[in-house]
Amino acid sequence: MVSGALLFQSLILGLLLGGLYALLAAGLTLYFGIMRVVMLAHAAFIILSAYLAWWFSSVTGLDPMISLVGSVPLFYGIGYLLHRYLLSRLRPTTMTMMSVLLTFGIALAIEGLLGLVWTGTQRRINLPYGPTSISFLGAQIPVVQIISFGLAALSLGVLYLIMKRTQFGRSLRATIQHGQAAQLVGIDTTKVAGMGFGLGLATAAIGGAALSLQATIYPSLHWHWIGPLMAIIVVGGLGSIPGAAIAALALGTIRVLLEIPMGPTWAQTIFYVALFLTLMLRPQGFFGGRLAQRF
Amino acid sequence: MSTKRWTQAGAVAAVAALLLAACGNGDGGGGGGTDGGGGGGGDGDTDDPIVIGVSLPLTGDFAEPGKGVQRGYETWVEMVNANGGLLGRQVELIVLDDASDPARVVSDYESLIAQEEVDLLFGPFSTRLVVPASRVASEYGMLFVEPAAAAPEVFENGFENIFYAAPAIASDHYNYLADYILAMPEDERPQTMAVTSMDDPFAQGTAYGLRDALVEAGVELVVDEVYPPNATDMSAIAAQIADADPDLLVGGSLYQDAVNLILALQQLNYQPRMVAFSTAPTNPEFPEAIGGAVDGILSPTGYSLTADWPSNAPFIEMHNEIHGMDPQEDEANGYTTGQVVQAAVEAVGCAEQGECQQQLIDWLHENSVEDTVVGPLGWDEAGRPDGAHMLLQYQEGEITIVLPEDAAQAELLYPKPEW
Repeated sequence: MVSGALLFQSLILGLLLGGLYALLAAGLTLYFGIMRVVMLAHAAFIILSAYLAWWFSSVTGLDPMISLVGSVPLFYGIGYLLHRYLLSRLRPTTMTMMSVLLTFGIALAIEGLLGLVWTGTQRRINLPYGPTSISFLGAQIPVVQIISFGLAALSLGVLYLIMKRTQFGRSLRATIQHGQAAQLVGIDTTKVAGMGFGLGLATAAIGGAALSLQATIYPSLHWHWIGPLMAIIVVGGLGSIPGAAIAALALGTIRVLLEIPMGPTWAQTIFYVALFLTLMLRPQGFFGGRLAQRF
Repeated sequence: MSTKRWTQAGAVAAVAALLLAACGNGDGGGGGGTDGGGGGGGDGDTDDPIVIGVSLPLTGDFAEPGKGVQRGYETWVEMVNANGGLLGRQVELIVLDDASDPARVVSDYESLIAQEEVDLLFGPFSTRLVVPASRVASEYGMLFVEPAAAAPEVFENGFENIFYAAPAIASDHYNYLADYILAMPEDERPQTMAVTSMDDPFAQGTAYGLRDALVEAGVELVVDEVYPPNATDMSAIAAQIADADPDLLVGGSLYQDAVNLILALQQLNYQPRMVAFSTAPTNPEFPEAIGGAVDGILSPTGYSLTADWPSNAPFIEMHNEIHGMDPQEDEANGYTTGQVVQAAVEAVGCAEQGECQQQLIDWLHENSVEDTVVGPLGWDEAGRPDGAHMLLQYQEGEITIVLPEDAAQAELLYPKPEW
């Protein structure tokens, strides 16, 4: 029979994994909220950031987290330019469909470039604290997972404060809620949306570095992430960051716990089961997310 | 409306361009025979070279191992020609690129046999390509020695012309380890075991060969999990293994899955008394990826640079001379394919299409090849090799052969040092 210790250990691992999912999904839900963009390249940017962290660490020998000093502003800039010169030029009526095509192409381009520069070999950062863990009530908490969970909590907290407390955040939320009305009260919605897009991509930079601490990376890895992340933001309610975070924690924990009776292959279907149930029972998502009703 | 038209036209053009690019790519690779090789065919004229035809996945999914096998074939050709050729004739290789496509591999071998009229065939890489290729070779009655298809279904098609040029099929890879464990005194041998495997016929074949042998002998199986090939988060499986705390851990792994699992197990402070993974530990990047904690990890291997089979040292030297690097298992299997065909040709005394092929096939069924770079090889009636893989173990950071005893460089370390 399954022991209590195993359940407790799995619960902790599931929550930590859910934290990572939350960070990785936050940007995705933000893009959709801002301008109905389905951003298929988000996971590709996550892997790109993971590669930058690995490359930085293997060249300099320093901790991969330091690469964030460069990659976060870089990704913010890329996000802003991507929105300003590509996505904002799509016609609003076909925006959702065309953004799928466009970002699919971007994802392929990133994957190809990663393969070209660093080959298809699987990489993993060798960290001195990689195998270490902290004991907590009989369970082991891996240090790398604590770091990535901490990064997720910190970034999501900062994102939440930006959205709620700053002038920019208010403008961004106004743009999300009703673009035309926002323009009428004097908000430069194109610029604000571009900055919002940059913000979303900046979370991909942080998420990628966190991911690189605890898994091997290879150029085509992003295809395995985009499905679960899309499921998370639909379950959480498109456009809702707290919704995405709660859905990520719940699904991450359930996935790890389900691995005990069902094994890894079936456990990963939880994302899609949750996606189908959400679309059947509550298409607008379970937490917040009024937006999805319109689509 | 017109914008829509343009978009559609653009999409059609893009798809057409992609298709063209894909075809162009394949054709470019396909044309590249290494030694020209236009004229094949000879009827045993002593001045004509012996032409050997092969189709390899030089692009696509299996491009990396495919190129490895090609290097092995090239090294063998150089070696034979440097030593006066085969039956006194020089050897030429025609290499076609099948782009890892099972349909292409069929047409490649048909054209090699019918149009190029090659004298001998070598096999391609991987089960997915060897099975259709062996069917073509069988229809033409050609000897078909192949370097890389270890899955059981390769040998279940009733063809008598196929021979696998490596020591053992997947489920026999751990035979020496199973014998070693069963020979231990009952109170010292591992009492419990965990098995995890990637959902892959080769990986599962290796792990389940050992699992079944040990379970039959009374070792208790406490964890038995299969994960999909794309799994990178191994912490949940690791938690189950750590909770069950088995003496022996067997991983049917390729590479990254073993790395991720080992680190997850280290994080949970699980210390196995004995641990074995397939394939991953022989990857040159493995020790660094898991932070150097490799000591005691076991792995079966079909080839070792340090094995002292008579032809191994000249092979390594020639390979370094031509390709500037040490051979890996794929190169060794390609070279072994050459050695097996060479032994048959030299014993029978012919190398051409027609009756000669049946004589070569019969000879390989009746005889074994005593010296290859992976040791002596013999086959059953379906072409399965009758050997087992050597077992290597990391000891003080170095790959060391520990089983079988007559090839061993050191004693097997048990229990394993902590990682």
